[in-house]
Amino acid sequence: MLRASAVAEEAGVPSVSLTCEGFIGQAATTATGLGLPGLPVAVVPGHVDVQTVDELRANVLGVTVEGVIQGLTAAPDKTVELVEPEPGEVVFEGTADEINRFFYENSWSDGLPIVPPTAARVEEFLRRTDRDADETLGVLLPDRRLATVRTVAINGVMAGCRPEYMPVLIALVEAMADPRYGVEHSGNTPGAETLIVVNGPVIRRLGFNYQQGALRDGFQANTSIGRFWRLYLRNVAGFLPHRTDKATFGNTWRVVLAENEDALARIGWTTIAQDQGLAAGANAVTVSRFTGGTVLASVFGTRPEQMIPYLADGITRLVAWELMFTVGMALGAQRPLLVLSPILAETLARAGLTKQDVQRRLFEHARIPASRFERYIGEWTNLAPGRPTLGDLVARGRAAPLFAESDDPGRLVPVVARAEDIMVAVSGDPLRTNAYVFAHNGILGFPTTKPVRLPAR
Amino acid sequence: MEALWVVLPTGQRAAGGWIDDTLRQRAEERGLLSRTPLAGVFPRHRVEVVRAPDPIEEVNERFEARGWTDGLPVTPPTLARVEAMCAATARAPSEVLGEVEPLRGEATVEKVAANAVMAGCRPEHFPVVLAAVQAVLDPAFNMRGVQTTDENVAPLLIVSGPLAGRLGLNAGFGALGPGWRANATIGRAVRLVMLNLGGGWPGAVSLAGLGQPGRYTLCLAEREDSPWPALHVELGYRPEQTTVTVLRAETAINVTGGLAEVASVMASAASAFTMLHEGRVAVVVAPFVARRLAAEGWSKDDARRWLHEQARVPVAAWQSWWLRATARQWPAWVTGAAATLPVVKEAADITLVVAGADLAIPQLAYFPSWGFPPCGVTREVVAPIDLVG
Repeated sequence: MLRASAVAEEAGVPSVSLTCEGFIGQAATTATGLGLPGLPVAVVPGHVDVQTVDELRANVLGVTVEGVIQGLTAAPDKTVELVEPEPGEVVFEGTADEINRFFYENSWSDGLPIVPPTAARVEEFLRRTDRDADETLGVLLPDRRLATVRTVAINGVMAGCRPEYMPVLIALVEAMADPRYGVEHSGNTPGAETLIVVNGPVIRRLGFNYQQGALRDGFQANTSIGRFWRLYLRNVAGFLPHRTDKATFGNTWRVVLAENEDALARIGWTTIAQDQGLAAGANAVTVSRFTGGTVLASVFGTRPEQMIPYLADGITRLVAWELMFTVGMALGAQRPLLVLSPILAETLARAGLTKQDVQRRLFEHARIPASRFERYIGEWTNLAPGRPTLGDLVARGRAAPLFAESDDPGRLVPVVARAEDIMVAVSGDPLRTNAYVFAHNGILGFPTTKPVRLPAR
Repeated sequence: MEALWVVLPTGQRAAGGWIDDTLRQRAEERGLLSRTPLAGVFPRHRVEVVRAPDPIEEVNERFEARGWTDGLPVTPPTLARVEAMCAATARAPSEVLGEVEPLRGEATVEKVAANAVMAGCRPEHFPVVLAAVQAVLDPAFNMRGVQTTDENVAPLLIVSGPLAGRLGLNAGFGALGPGWRANATIGRAVRLVMLNLGGGWPGAVSLAGLGQPGRYTLCLAEREDSPWPALHVELGYRPEQTTVTVLRAETAINVTGGLAEVASVMASAASAFTMLHEGRVAVVVAPFVARRLAAEGWSKDDARRWLHEQARVPVAAWQSWWLRATARQWPAWVTGAAATLPVVKEAADITLVVAGADLAIPQLAYFPSWGFPPCGVTREVVAPIDLVG
């Protein structure tokens, strides 16, 4: 809402943003990050989702209208530059315990001990890249801070990374700053968490776990790089719980998923990075926000016909309100991820299926009745206001035609717009017949891939 | 060297900026940096670590030089003390009670707690401070006006209800004077909030010509043995509830005697701004006087009505006042055809409470008001957590 208002203001159109009571603090911070600290906000008391029409009318007439008038008639505040430490400035001196306490008390840490980012440690990280410490990798909302190579190093040290991870960390921040990813949404209320998928020779070189326990802590590269992502969101982008991060629940960072490229090579399947357009063998990171995930245990069968229905069912079970990213405003942006253990992938491959064949079969099977689809977005939620049918949405150009091939409410429709929207990765215990599925957060964390550039020397 | 970990008490706006940057500019423009040489010079964090051979002294030196005190020594708002303060309320430390005008620092529970620690409050006093801060953040209090006017107005805090005594708030001997920590520190905490979160720096933002001693603290409790209904009960609260009521008071004028003497003081130029702004005033009645009136059958309303009728300014006197010529817009009930003028519009604009020592030489006090709109804001005091049960 604030971002739309900022665009309007920049075009010379005065705006007021209607903001539910619980979001006032976030609105102020977001407005500042957008460079418009005085962006007017009109409060709607409580939250509109649980108010009757009469309550809403009373609240709007009693409170909101006055705010709208104020916002459109009062002179806004001027921009004020915040004072921040200079790059490389020493902000604190003390023992390791004191440094930890100081960082925690000032909201710079996630609550676990950090490795103190001393000048020497930061320098060691900076030596592992040939990019200049002050090089800017992008600008991150909501605080609109510059993402620099130096702050990558600082947060990498804090997260417990090793210096040699630096090129991966830089690629991650490039992905974070890519507008396609949409970092500015990272404080939204569903509180989805990013999954990082890593590909290429760096998996072995940096010691990523890509086998049994692939998403378990206990492996420094997977764990500390996952933590780095969240620390960078906190300390540079500026997402703080109780302020800019409005996650209703949220969860801890996700451990990095490394693909089993040995298995992929054996069966001739493409990697996630290749599916995202990179060359085979490229070092790459892919970031994407997932609202949740679940394990599909004990996939039984020797033929795709036996296996695909269960795997597809896992996807349909998880993609529910997230269907708002399949149709509507964010047309075709739902990108669920299915992670197959190598033995499952090999069984499917032995039947002659490429990954793209698997995607097509999943697309055919991951279907639900149209009435159920419509209920998720327009009855149980109000994410598509006015309870449109899929037919209405197709007519408005807000859904692909295949969602309205008939008007039978019992017809089966897919949960993604295209077969290739279902991402498939291979990792985990090579000899266990389990899979994992993630539902996706659409444009609020769209899959974004960046090559990892190793230093020349 | 010893170290103190202190929570910075100063105001940060919702958008992240610190009010100190504005204050530094104002102080520079007005040549006030000799008082606050370190205005705006502090680490822009939640917590600062102060290391010094005498860290308590060092905190005091720094805070004073940054403009964060009322001139008296403060208790360093250490993390432990601020956490203990916050533990007296069920509210989250991050909860925002509102923005303090005019510089609009956010009054989070934690920031208010830091100022309460500095003022010397005990944790059990904190719920009264929170209620009072909520009251002064009510638009009816007109914080912007109170902070920036050239008049000398201060918030008058009246605590009414059974918690007052349990928290050690004085309603008896010297109820408006020194000696009781609760009265001294709760009122002071509100002042420090106005100073550090609202930016009401004297001479820079707050342009009160003289100020008044009530700007350090002005907080009293109502006697529980009043023969009349308690203030909070009059306002519709249950007897077992406790409230804090905030009025805007220009000053406290001591009056020895009874209602007639109070009326004579009310009907003077002391009430000029009260009349101009249609204000609400307070009268503290000595227990001796209240008891005698009650014995004669006077209700609290009777006393209020009597004061409203008897405290009358002759038109000629009003016309001779400096303010009469200076201010153009007087209320219709002042500029009407009457030969004598009431000092408040209605009897209900007089808040009556019984407090002070039970002396046969009865002492009363009159608090004229300043500013728009009519103000008497009341908030319930939620019992501190460790006193529940």
